[in-house]
Amino acid sequence: MKTLRAFFALCLGLVFRPILREKTRTTLTILGIAVGVSVLVAIQLSNTSALRAFSESVDAVAGRANFILVSDAGMLEESSLTALQPLWPLGVRFAPVLDLEGVVEKSQRPIRVLAVDLFSDLHFRDYRYASIATAQSGERTTGLETLAMDGNQPSVASFLELFRRDSIVLPSTYADENGLEVGNGIVLEVLGRRQKFVIRGLLRAEGPATAFDGSLAIMDIATAQAAFGLHGRLSRVDLMVPDNAVERTRSLTTEAIEGAVLERPSRRNERVGRMLRAFRINLFALAGVALLVGIFLVYNTVLISILRRRADVGVLKTLGASPRQIFAAFVMEGAVFGLAGSLLGIAFGYGLAYGTLELIGRTINALYVSTAPSEIVLTPIVVIMAILLGTGVSVLSAVQPALEAASIRPNALIRAGIYQGASTRGVLRLAVAALVLFVLGALATRVPAIGGLPIAGYAAVILIVAGAAAIAPLSILQLSRLARPLFGRLFQLPGTLAAVSLPASLRRVAVAAAALSVAIAMMVAVSVMVGSFRETVRAWVDQTVRSDLWIRPAQQLGPSPGAVFPASISDELRKIEEIEMFDRIRMREVVFRDSLIAVGGGDFAQAAQTASMPMVRPRSQARAIQAAIQREGVLISESLSLKFDLDVDDSIELPVQGGTQQFPITGIYRDYSSDRGVVVMDRSSFIKAYNDDTIDTIAIFLRDGVDPSAARTKIELTLGAKYRVFAFTNATIRAEVMRIFDQTFLITWALLVVSIVVAVLGIVNTLAALIIERRREIALLKVLGMSRRQIRGMILLECSLLGTVSTLLGLACGVVLSWILIFVINRQSFGWTIEFAPPAGLVAVSLAMTFLATVTAGLYPARMAGRLVMSTAMKSE
Amino acid sequence: MTLPIRLDHVEHEYGGTEESSTVRALSNVELSIGAGDFVILMGPSGSGKSTLLNLIGAVDRPTSGRILIGETDIAKLSEDELTLFRRTSVGFIFQFFNLVPTLTVRENVGFPLSLAGTRRKELAERTGEVLDGIGLQHRASHYPNQLSGGEMQRVAIGRAIIHRPSILLADEPTGNLDSRTGETVLELIRSVHQSYGPTIVMATHSERAASYGDYVRQVVDGRVIDEGRPL
Repeated sequence: MKTLRAFFALCLGLVFRPILREKTRTTLTILGIAVGVSVLVAIQLSNTSALRAFSESVDAVAGRANFILVSDAGMLEESSLTALQPLWPLGVRFAPVLDLEGVVEKSQRPIRVLAVDLFSDLHFRDYRYASIATAQSGERTTGLETLAMDGNQPSVASFLELFRRDSIVLPSTYADENGLEVGNGIVLEVLGRRQKFVIRGLLRAEGPATAFDGSLAIMDIATAQAAFGLHGRLSRVDLMVPDNAVERTRSLTTEAIEGAVLERPSRRNERVGRMLRAFRINLFALAGVALLVGIFLVYNTVLISILRRRADVGVLKTLGASPRQIFAAFVMEGAVFGLAGSLLGIAFGYGLAYGTLELIGRTINALYVSTAPSEIVLTPIVVIMAILLGTGVSVLSAVQPALEAASIRPNALIRAGIYQGASTRGVLRLAVAALVLFVLGALATRVPAIGGLPIAGYAAVILIVAGAAAIAPLSILQLSRLARPLFGRLFQLPGTLAAVSLPASLRRVAVAAAALSVAIAMMVAVSVMVGSFRETVRAWVDQTVRSDLWIRPAQQLGPSPGAVFPASISDELRKIEEIEMFDRIRMREVVFRDSLIAVGGGDFAQAAQTASMPMVRPRSQARAIQAAIQREGVLISESLSLKFDLDVDDSIELPVQGGTQQFPITGIYRDYSSDRGVVVMDRSSFIKAYNDDTIDTIAIFLRDGVDPSAARTKIELTLGAKYRVFAFTNATIRAEVMRIFDQTFLITWALLVVSIVVAVLGIVNTLAALIIERRREIALLKVLGMSRRQIRGMILLECSLLGTVSTLLGLACGVVLSWILIFVINRQSFGWTIEFAPPAGLVAVSLAMTFLATVTAGLYPARMAGRLVMSTAMKSE
Repeated sequence: MTLPIRLDHVEHEYGGTEESSTVRALSNVELSIGAGDFVILMGPSGSGKSTLLNLIGAVDRPTSGRILIGETDIAKLSEDELTLFRRTSVGFIFQFFNLVPTLTVRENVGFPLSLAGTRRKELAERTGEVLDGIGLQHRASHYPNQLSGGEMQRVAIGRAIIHRPSILLADEPTGNLDSRTGETVLELIRSVHQSYGPTIVMATHSERAASYGDYVRQVVDGRVIDEGRPL
């Protein structure tokens, strides 16, 4: 207790009071940490919320089922229900489900169709009816009355109404939003078939009715099978399996139902989570940059505290304060900044999450799964994580300067005018350390991915960043030396003084320069990576999108699984004389080695003439396609090849309807449409494998001289009414791909801007502290006749020199980091090969803006310096 | 050109806005110094000597009263005019030398001329002359932390006189030196006075240092109480 009281007394004078007194420094530091923490909190919250709706929907729809029986290929045969009959005596209960995606006619809004056996399904899901139609004798289709159910189940007579061949049940929330009521009609389009239904029941917003944000339609399974051409097909079978029957159920389903997999309902969430893992981790890592820059800020603040209070520390040590107490006091300062910054950061992050969620949600919808982001929920775990992270890194960054304060002799601290530059030996030692870090970083880039994640790649980035920070002092010394004659000639005395004052305060300015360098390096690296990626995608789109028109059964180009054309559309297309040829494409999702991948079918004979696939192996596209046609083989995307270590002449075992099938791999091509991996095969093989002849995209090549716009209008007019055709021109497709690309990286830019803001805060903080530290010197310059303008000019020149060092160092480091991002992290995370094509203009503009921001950051300290009261400052030492 | 100095009813207060927190450093000071005089200010610590020097040197403004340098009341000058006045008309010598640590001896000495934008050739010539005069030509490229206390003070004197200011203000110039070195510094100040005759105001505790002046003014509790004691 006594020790604690003594420590508190020490902290009061050495830490707490100065923190309160030096408001600007305290505010800037806390703000720096807060911004870093807030970005991490926002990304974490929005990452979680983006998929929460998806997983909650899966849970809500799963109801009481503890297992599901699915086919990795997509659909199960209805006969599997018969195979499950022997499990009934063991207490296993099962219910067939058709889980389909569709669109509502007119509004074109997506809707999930859950078709179940409404009798047996009562064991699995709680349907609470808000109202239900009752039949009037003789007027079965028109005379409907509504019964309010008050939460009770309907009577048998009214319940039977739901089994009529055009009945549909909607959540009451959906009906309210769309102005619908019992008895109204609604047209749904599922798997290319349009069907009109009559609303005969409304569900209260409970249980399954809450899934998919209420955009859900429930109908009898027989109705759905008939309406959508799925006779004898099931999406899955939901099962309630008692604990003692799990093994028996597993063995029976494996033996008796070919191609079926028994798994927990949560498995789908896990797969989707895994599919998004690289995307989310990379986003989180990028957000970490802001905190990394924040660490430099705390380090600098504590270091400045020690330098400014060196005399006080000396006096306290003389009076008997132990090195341990001094150390603990300065670590406490780091902790105070960290805690305050973390708490503020959590509040900022919570607000920021709404913005980032929008951006992340859009990307996930465009590239991965269709889901509506749910509410942002600030969980205690996120709060604890943020506090631990923010406070932890602050404490860690305070350790080194605190150790320094604890180890210096009292007389050295008391002596006035102690030199605060670093020794040449120290600078050289740091430069050697930088060299070692660079070498280690280079070695880390050689290490392959661990568990599918580029762990060594991240380590390489950290090592290179640490190296750049370590070489900052030497860079400042060298550049100041070079700048001195030039500045002297251009700006006379203020120029000379600016050039010599940075090396004199090397320890402090080096940390600020390092922080800014890191932020600039990351900005350059990401600019180069995104710019190169964009250029690669643009070239890829130019090469692959060659048809004149694309027609789709949905208004958007992104995934819309429910919308397909029937095979019969081909005959209609052949009748249109403007069309020379067309290529029909169908993609579907399958589970391969417990990962979601895309399998597609296309007209390979057609593609051999018209397509231009960027091939990895073999170089000849024609050879790969011909081999695939002859051997019933497949072409796979580069990302699939890298993720699963597959090469040409290997074979790939894919789940197909009713089992699995080996396909020889005849080629590997580059595909930037998705990182999950794509397999493409000839349409005939696809139809055979999946018993699915529908089409989701048709690439159309027009005869020479035909105007694409005119052809587009004609196709839409001819087929629009029957097939709900949306035609896109080549230019629209290209623009849309680039729009999705730019939208995906919008958040990346936002995160980088935050890092730069934190770094600029660091510059303001450092310079403001330097002004306070140098107030006697600046006052002297004023006494000797320097005008306010000259003083301000000197500070701004110092700032520009600091900005120049940071920019040059950041640029060099950024180019190296971009190489790591492109060839190590991106390749290991997503399996993409990106051509190195730095966007020189973008980088130059970004650097110029950062430089300007740095110089602007000097305005406030420069004003402070100009306003210094000479007599007070001269007395203060 | 040398200038007379005259302080009329000068008062100076330090501190906050509340009356209780202000400290009166100078109270109704009347002081007249003739052009080219070498006057000594003596008095105990905290009596107001340095404040008086700061006011004469335009480092600070009086709370009330007039400070006439020649015909000009510097209390009424703008910030820019004060800067120009300090740059051209005043030379300062401090107890703790106050050299710019990042500049060499040559650069420190030439500082006022650099500030005035003097051409490089002229700057080099005049700096060279002053360095010869203070006997530190051989130390021209050294930095302040490579010099002894006496040498640092000689550099400070060189810096104070290079632009030939009409007023030279010295605040305890020997306070941080041993007696022998202090003597050398005082000789140097005397020789400056003799060479071009600036008005010199020197604050000191030392009777020995005071003997170098033409006369002494006593400062006690913020008042100049002894009007003239010829030495």
